[in-house]
Amino acid sequence: MAVSPVRRWQDRGPGSGRIRVVSRRIAIVEDEPALRDNVAEALRRHGYEVATYADRASALDAFRTRLPDLALIDVGLADDIDGGFDLCRELRALSAGVPIIFLSARDSDFDIVAGLRLGADDYLTKDASLPHLVARIAALFRRSELAQSAASAEDVQQRGALTLDLKRLTAHWNGKRVDLTLTEFWMVHALARHPGHVKDRDSLMRDARITVDDSTITSHIKRIRRKFQALDPAFDRIVTVYGLGYRWDAAAG
Amino acid sequence: MTAQRAMGDGRIADALRRHAPTLGIRAQLALVLTVFLALPWLGYQYAREIERLLQSAQDRALSGTAQAIATALDDRPRLFDTPADPIASFARERIADEGSAGVALPPSASPEIEQIIRGLSRIDARIWVVDRDLTVLAHTGSLRRKPPPEAPPASTLGAIWQTVERATVGRLYTLFLEQPTEDFRDEAAVRGPPRGRDIEGALAGILTFDRRRTLDGKAVVVAAANPIWIGDRVEGAVVVEQTTNRVLAERNLAFERLFNIVLAVLLLGSVALTLFASRLSSRIRRLRDDAEAAIDANGRVQGAFAGVDAHDEIGDLSRSFASVLARLSDYAAYQEKMAGRLSHELRTPIAVVRSSLENLQQQPLASDARIYIERAQGGLSRLSAILTRMTEAARLEQALQEASRERYDVAPVVVACVDGYRAAYPDVPFDLAIAEGTLVVEGAPDLLAQMLDKLVSNAVEFRSGAPVAIVVERAGDAVRMSVSNAGPPLPAGMQARLFDSMVSVRPQGGGAHLGLGLYVARMIAQFHGGSIDVANRSDGSGVVVSVRIPLESR
Repeated sequence: MAVSPVRRWQDRGPGSGRIRVVSRRIAIVEDEPALRDNVAEALRRHGYEVATYADRASALDAFRTRLPDLALIDVGLADDIDGGFDLCRELRALSAGVPIIFLSARDSDFDIVAGLRLGADDYLTKDASLPHLVARIAALFRRSELAQSAASAEDVQQRGALTLDLKRLTAHWNGKRVDLTLTEFWMVHALARHPGHVKDRDSLMRDARITVDDSTITSHIKRIRRKFQALDPAFDRIVTVYGLGYRWDAAAG
Repeated sequence: MTAQRAMGDGRIADALRRHAPTLGIRAQLALVLTVFLALPWLGYQYAREIERLLQSAQDRALSGTAQAIATALDDRPRLFDTPADPIASFARERIADEGSAGVALPPSASPEIEQIIRGLSRIDARIWVVDRDLTVLAHTGSLRRKPPPEAPPASTLGAIWQTVERATVGRLYTLFLEQPTEDFRDEAAVRGPPRGRDIEGALAGILTFDRRRTLDGKAVVVAAANPIWIGDRVEGAVVVEQTTNRVLAERNLAFERLFNIVLAVLLLGSVALTLFASRLSSRIRRLRDDAEAAIDANGRVQGAFAGVDAHDEIGDLSRSFASVLARLSDYAAYQEKMAGRLSHELRTPIAVVRSSLENLQQQPLASDARIYIERAQGGLSRLSAILTRMTEAARLEQALQEASRERYDVAPVVVACVDGYRAAYPDVPFDLAIAEGTLVVEGAPDLLAQMLDKLVSNAVEFRSGAPVAIVVERAGDAVRMSVSNAGPPLPAGMQARLFDSMVSVRPQGGGAHLGLGLYVARMIAQFHGGSIDVANRSDGSGVVVSVRIPLESR
């Protein structure tokens, strides 16, 4: 496993509690102090180094001096209602590779799409629990860490034209990379694991570690379909089962 | 609480229900116009006044004539010496026997007097000179006037007008106004002047007037009698008689002219006012219709109400109505977004509580402390569920804006959904009746399924025993989908309100129900260009929610 020498760590998931050789540095940009401190504390407990910022300006100053390994950004920063979006853009300009997660009370499709278009790797609402958040952060680190390394066979699931790399959390369709967010990846994974079985919205939410309502699930599914269709206009594997949920169609089309 | 509020609103809506106006603007204006009916009466009074003036002028003229003749005959005793002529008396008798048509006058007994007064004669006045015994010494003139030559109308239009006038208002005038006629019975013509007040007065030495009707009542005769003095003795009298026909004719003419003008003005005014009132009331009715159309049965503002540009009070009213409606719709939108906004605002503090609890869980804690944490987390997850549901409507609204429309057949979607429900609610029997053939509508099948989910979950929740019935049928150019369940009927007056946000008939305090299900269902029905209705079953055994969506013709 070719892990960068500087970032050597125990690849057992962040919950294992083991001390890392070099702790990863996470920036939290959140205007609500109590939430900021709670998240920071939880992440520190998992061995991350955490820097907290209450506003865009101070965060950006710090990013210019030193890039974090991952940024957790709230969209609304006090009076700066779209400050998080601006910060995301500025951070992307500084580095194309830093994983960015939005953590916001705003959960409209518009905000989610806007956030992801700006180059964020995932968009979470504040309903997400701390364990879910931590799992997600660990997964993102793993993905960015292993992006360049070769995949080992046992981590790869093959479902017809779909290839899922569970370690790198990447999906390929007909050999082409499908650029899914973590949430989307987990949804595809949950659907494709048992082709032909109907997954209802609740279990999809559980598998994707999000708490949203039905229409958000619907729009996630739509986005996933669109990403696959961008590569393969004939893609029709994700079938809506009215009244129940969704199904991954195994039948070769 | 929400249910009570809704029912209160229902009562207000009942109280405001429109009643057709019992007295419209036009009727009121017509009533006001009756004031102008006083105008003809005023005209009549005016004509009477003219008549009086004319009469006094006539009186003066007659008395002037009588005085002048008397003056000419004064102190000429010779003229009165002539005894009564028996032939004249005989002739008088004879002519009287021939009947009223006779117009021949008895011959004058005194040719000299006759000579004197002839020069003074007038065509439509009769002059008698009588002695103390009322013997007619001389007379001249006639009571009958020659009919005035008819003036030819100025133009053919004038002729038409005259004909029309005679046929219409002319009749009215003959009803109300005494018409002078020359066809009266002039009994004095054969008998000589009757011994009336005038002659009595004159013989007593005073200029006296009398006014009497002819015996057939067809004309009024004015008589002025002046004494003829011989020395200081009254030897006879000059009686000048004239009918009031000329005065009547003048009066009638004046009245007719006035009345024609008044009538024309009244007619024009009424027509103008009626047109004005019609326009006014039609504008107001249009405003009312627009205003009513702007708010649907559920009290929701439907689209924009366009104020009109008219620069008067009605235009002003419509503009202020438009602004009121705009504000109302803003407020309604604000209220409907309240839930979403509220949940948004609550999300951060809830996240603070949750993350605190989760952090606390990581601490070494006594076992009883963990129980409290678990309880707190249980409450918190319920709170989160409520918040998620609260934003559903707002999110759906947004989804509807972005949703792409497609044409699809309703039937397979409903069949698939019902299959899903049979799996999702294994204890609930579902009856599905679906019309033959394709039922193509325009919209989004996902949303239709979501709507059906809401209706079915409501039906399942409120049902009592019997199966939930789902019927899809053709209804003219629309498809009617109904979901019905046996169960308690809806409270009266709640039907329409149920589709509003946050209105529920569920008992308060049970579960996290926000009354958004039917609200969401209505939004989806409207997205499909359709409507949704809820009613009790006709036998009161349950509730039916039916959705009507127009079919797309291929």
